[in-house]
Amino acid sequence: MFSNAASLYLDPQIRDWVLFPITVVMILVGILRHYIVLLLQSPPKKLPRAAIREQRALMRSNILRASSANSPLPPTFYQSISQNLSQAFAEGTFLKDGPPKGDTPSAPQNPLADPSQMDGMMAGMKTQMVMMVPQMVIMGWINFFFQGFVLIKLPFPLTLGFKSMLQRGVETPDMDVRWVSSLSWYFLNFFGLNGLYRLILGNDNSADSSRDMTTPFAAAAAAPQGPQAQDFNKLFKAERDNLEFAEGLYSWVGKDIETAVLKKYGRLPDGQ
Amino acid sequence: MDFTNSLQKLAGYRQRQTQASKEALDRGGPLLRSGAYTRQGNEGWDNLEKLFLAALDQGDFETADQCLQLIVDRFPGSPRADVLQGLRMEATEPLDVALKFYDELLEADESNAAVWRRKAVVLRNMGKIDRAVEELSAMLDTFYTDVGGWLELADIYSSCHQYTHALQSLSHALILAPQSPFYFLQFAETAYLALDVTLSLKMFLVAVDMTDDDDGPVPPQDSIPTGATLRSWYGVKLCTHRLVSESRLLSSSASQTLAPSTEKLSMLDELATERLRTAYLNIKGESPPKADKELIGVLATIVQ
Repeated sequence: MFSNAASLYLDPQIRDWVLFPITVVMILVGILRHYIVLLLQSPPKKLPRAAIREQRALMRSNILRASSANSPLPPTFYQSISQNLSQAFAEGTFLKDGPPKGDTPSAPQNPLADPSQMDGMMAGMKTQMVMMVPQMVIMGWINFFFQGFVLIKLPFPLTLGFKSMLQRGVETPDMDVRWVSSLSWYFLNFFGLNGLYRLILGNDNSADSSRDMTTPFAAAAAAPQGPQAQDFNKLFKAERDNLEFAEGLYSWVGKDIETAVLKKYGRLPDGQ
Repeated sequence: MDFTNSLQKLAGYRQRQTQASKEALDRGGPLLRSGAYTRQGNEGWDNLEKLFLAALDQGDFETADQCLQLIVDRFPGSPRADVLQGLRMEATEPLDVALKFYDELLEADESNAAVWRRKAVVLRNMGKIDRAVEELSAMLDTFYTDVGGWLELADIYSSCHQYTHALQSLSHALILAPQSPFYFLQFAETAYLALDVTLSLKMFLVAVDMTDDDDGPVPPQDSIPTGATLRSWYGVKLCTHRLVSESRLLSSSASQTLAPSTEKLSMLDELATERLRTAYLNIKGESPPKADKELIGVLATIVQ
């Protein structure tokens, strides 16, 4: 075993002309990609007023409900706000396209039909392309020029299970597992450089490609999960029940405040 | 514009130049000249913005222009910098110019809340109260969580003696920031002006309950009311005094707030009087006047 391992010598030229170039190229491509993605990112689209109003309408009733059990508002004020909101929800005045007309189908729109959503999806695809293309080129480059190269010997022993991971592209059953082939070196870099990018580019860099590889189209899938996917009319209708519920819980913080203050200042006995 | 109105306005202007802005300007000026702000990172830019506002407040347009130049050079096209530019215009240019500037900004991006609010303020300063209210209400309908906007709206309504509307605006500020006793105090004072004295009394009591120091070393009845607590007690005294002397106010509350029982009312009156006398004794060092009316009179000057 020992003599077998010692009989294999690596030409230092391999280190200088294959191992280092692969590593350096991968790091540089990652950094380049980070900046290209930054360039490609379009600024978030500005929403028109009506859309903002629609999105934030639910927040209004949430704010009202949050303090209803110990509300700062006197009963008449609370009820007027609560009933106004409830009525507005029922009539759909908060909807960005105005109140629904009669029996229009209320099915959620197909996201592909709305041009404003296509932008989000295209942005996802664009970054996806920037991720995939350079990796494919590098892999092709390595496969074409350095196929079957043994690049480096790990300084620690490993079990046989690592053979398929470290010696991809070199089909020799007898070679020590510590030798790493060129293609495997590519994959080790591919999954392992994230830490280095984080040191160079900061925490939320977009240089690391392994993340996108493992969940392909994650970016594209996440983009259209916007507010448009929700049917606000239904949400508003549901919120009316919550408002009614909160109205049942309502009590004014000033209801018995004079008794509380008098007790606090010792003008009334505590038990009363 | 008549003479008294102008005098009032001038008095208002002088008040707005606060001590804080003068100090900010005195300290910030040398820092600006040495270029310390731009080297501080994000916090430095925040402080530069504050210096700009302080300079405008003090009427030091040269410093203000320097700050603005730095900010605009660093953040071209930023909505926040746009608002600062608008403020600078409001200070020296005619108000129509500023209004036009804001209109253009809103046309480019109609969801810019800060510009929208400034526009309402400019309209108010131009005397177009109705349009200011319209714009501000529309803005608050979209950007509901802007507490400052609700207070501004309440202030506009109060200045037109529309106290019921002012109370409604303040009620929104209350649910948005129920932790702040100052909004309760303002609500109570506005309710007092709206002649809803029972509601006002309750709100003053809530403010008392929120501001008095019940975790302190002395029990509440031995503490000395100061600041917001004193103001609240003063309000309580005003309310109980009026409720006792004018019994028709007991049942004329617009919000149908029930008055406390007569027994409790007199107890509250006593308590408030005692609190106010304690405060007076502590501040002036002499024994307070005996009669209710005089006590209210002398304390009015202190509370202000």
